[in-house]
Amino acid sequence: MARAHLESLLRARKLDVTLTDTSIPRSPDDRASTGLPVVDAALGGGFARGQLSEIVGPRSSGRTAVLCQALAAAAARGELVALVDTTDRFDPVSAGAAGLDLSRVLWIRDTGDAARALKATTLVLQAGNFGIVAFDLADVPAPALRAFPFTTWLRIAKIVEGSQTVALIVGSDRIARSPGGVTLTLESPVREPRVQWTGSSHRARFVAGVDPKARVVGGR
Amino acid sequence: MRIPSYDDLAPSIPDVSASDVLESVQRLLPDSGPVTRGTAPAAEVSGQLLFACLRSTRTPEALMDIARDFSPRIQRYGAACVVFDVSGLGRLLGDPATIGAELARAAADKCGAPRSADCDEGIHVRTRPRFTSRYGIRIEPHPVEHANLVLHAAVTDRTRIAVDRTEGHGTRISADPSQKTIRENQRPIDKKEIREDSRPVNSSAIVVAVAPTQISALLASFGGSALTVITGQIDGALADLPLHVLRQLMVTIHGVVVLRPNASTITPVTDAPGWPSWSACEEVFDVLQRWGLKTLGEFAALPAADLSARLGKAGVALQRLARGIDPRPLIPDPEVPRYRERLELEWPIDSLEPLSFVLARLLDSLSLALERADRGAAAIRLDLRLVDRSTHSRMLQLPVAMRDARVLRTLLLLDLESHPPGAAIDIVAIEVDPAPGRVLQYSLLERALPSAETIATLTARLAALVGEFRCGMPVLLDSYRPDAFVLERFAPAEIPVHAGRAHAGSVSLALQGSRTPLCLRRFRPPVAVRVVVTRGRPVQVAIDRRGMPGGEVVQAAGPWRSSGEWWAGATRHWDRDEWDVSFTDGATCRIFRERENGKWFIEGLLD
Repeated sequence: MARAHLESLLRARKLDVTLTDTSIPRSPDDRASTGLPVVDAALGGGFARGQLSEIVGPRSSGRTAVLCQALAAAAARGELVALVDTTDRFDPVSAGAAGLDLSRVLWIRDTGDAARALKATTLVLQAGNFGIVAFDLADVPAPALRAFPFTTWLRIAKIVEGSQTVALIVGSDRIARSPGGVTLTLESPVREPRVQWTGSSHRARFVAGVDPKARVVGGR
Repeated sequence: MRIPSYDDLAPSIPDVSASDVLESVQRLLPDSGPVTRGTAPAAEVSGQLLFACLRSTRTPEALMDIARDFSPRIQRYGAACVVFDVSGLGRLLGDPATIGAELARAAADKCGAPRSADCDEGIHVRTRPRFTSRYGIRIEPHPVEHANLVLHAAVTDRTRIAVDRTEGHGTRISADPSQKTIRENQRPIDKKEIREDSRPVNSSAIVVAVAPTQISALLASFGGSALTVITGQIDGALADLPLHVLRQLMVTIHGVVVLRPNASTITPVTDAPGWPSWSACEEVFDVLQRWGLKTLGEFAALPAADLSARLGKAGVALQRLARGIDPRPLIPDPEVPRYRERLELEWPIDSLEPLSFVLARLLDSLSLALERADRGAAAIRLDLRLVDRSTHSRMLQLPVAMRDARVLRTLLLLDLESHPPGAAIDIVAIEVDPAPGRVLQYSLLERALPSAETIATLTARLAALVGEFRCGMPVLLDSYRPDAFVLERFAPAEIPVHAGRAHAGSVSLALQGSRTPLCLRRFRPPVAVRVVVTRGRPVQVAIDRRGMPGGEVVQAAGPWRSSGEWWAGATRHWDRDEWDVSFTDGATCRIFRERENGKWFIEGLLD
């Protein structure tokens, strides 16, 4: 009873950010669906709004595919999305083929300067009212990522806290998330290819897609 | 108690006589020449109406600026022609020729320095004997096919006449007002001498005409000279103008677009009210051409009754115009307010921080003026006059009409960060193009989007951070070229609200299976690799750069041939064979081989 009373007092004063009680029902609006049933099931309905989450995985694990589907689902809901592309890797053609409405995408193309891309991300988050703001750090060298002070991500989390924006980081390894955010790890079992192929010979074969095996770490 | 009447009140402004005004002007402008030259003819001109016409196809926006300096009663005819009342300028400036010269000077100042001698531009003075005798100028009739005699009024008020369009022969006449004599000299003149001798006064793009009626001023402006002054009998002055100037006048009034070179026309949807209709005018001109009439004088000489019987009301109306008779009084256009602020600094500013205070001050008053008129700024122009006498100008096109002073100041400062001036700033001038204020309708049923001001500020900040052309909304091009897209301005306010919902169904249908379509992480530009091919299939990919995928190929699909734009040249043409390959570490890439030179590249990573 004392714990429940304490938690209710914290919620009343909106200081319940770090509470880990999963029994509290969340409204559907608190979650941003990714459009992928398998991933949404793992996330409990989608990425939490007002939180910093991340999508990590090795090459060709489906990180960009999951990101594009999440952006497409947000655009389909009428939201605006922003993509801070640190190394200018985004391909509008394949993203459009995946169903993303490009007219709702703000694409910021950097040339590899992670610090500058971080400033751009901060500007977009401070502007507010975006459904998803994705920060693509997948191809940034690890030393550049380690150069960020740990308070960087605390500041990012503070900016989105209480808003309807989902802040997403895309990377090869775990970088950071907020207490209410999740780390969506895409991986495949050993000796099982990540990318699915169809066809027999190389002249009749093509890439069918990826079956993302998502593992969620963190979140409520 | 007797209520004082208006007549009992002492006048707050003392009576000022004309002589006092002339003396004051002479004291203020000692170098302008004898003001008394305006006395005798000024007394005569002041009792008559006088109109000026400015016409330009190159600088139409300058016409109103010049006209406002001379008269508040201005009427626009079409987009490139204004007529205004200059009747009251006789006392100040003198006779019509002087008024015309002042207008020509103002036009030259507005449109830049005069070009080199161009004998087509000068003053056609069609005057009566009084003017002729005062200046001692005689104008000879000039057959068009040989040469035009034109009168150049130089800035120093000396009058000289030069020759134009000659093939080596012509007439040169010079006159000196003080001597009141005239010298004629007929001899062959070569073109070099013409250029040295003539002093163009008005070689700007603006044509000036001064006449007692609006129509005669308009017709004279089409007469071919840069400055035309008509005094006295209008009929005689307009008589030898070609008939096509009347057609040009109706083209201007009705806003007809004439296409070159076939001279076909795009007629307006509705005719200008109060004037003969364009279709009727065309019929009349057609008949007059068949009759063989060539000048306005020939047309004006036709008997009105017979003309009415043959050509109807339109014919009579056009004949009255050919005689220079105004169909109606001048109807001044309503004053169009301009939103412009200017500040001369006491000392130069060489950094953005103090400039932001100056901009805040100017924009606050502009914002207040826009708010009073329920207007927003569609575009904002900033002119910074620098200490080195140059002007640093920036023009911002705003995505939506806005009037928030802070937002406008932020946008200007962000733009100046990217395009800083090259020297310290002396004068700051801001002008906005007004647009009707926006009517915003919010909805409780739609998700809130960032406001237009927020988007504009955000995109300006991002442009200043990453570069002007590296942020925006991607738009796919209608092309099979790989990576064919452009970045356009991010303007979510222009997207229909229900556009996003149209995609909801397509997204859900695309994800029926468990597989998720891969997206490409493109390398820009493609990275060169070395590929080992066995039996037409890549088996090994090697690359020298660290962190790039490569190694032994375990799966491969292809080749898929892609080519195009072979007609567009080597820079845009592409012809290649593409492969999708998977490596032992699980990475899957798209590689391609250029068929022209056999080189291999990695296009991107499928992720």
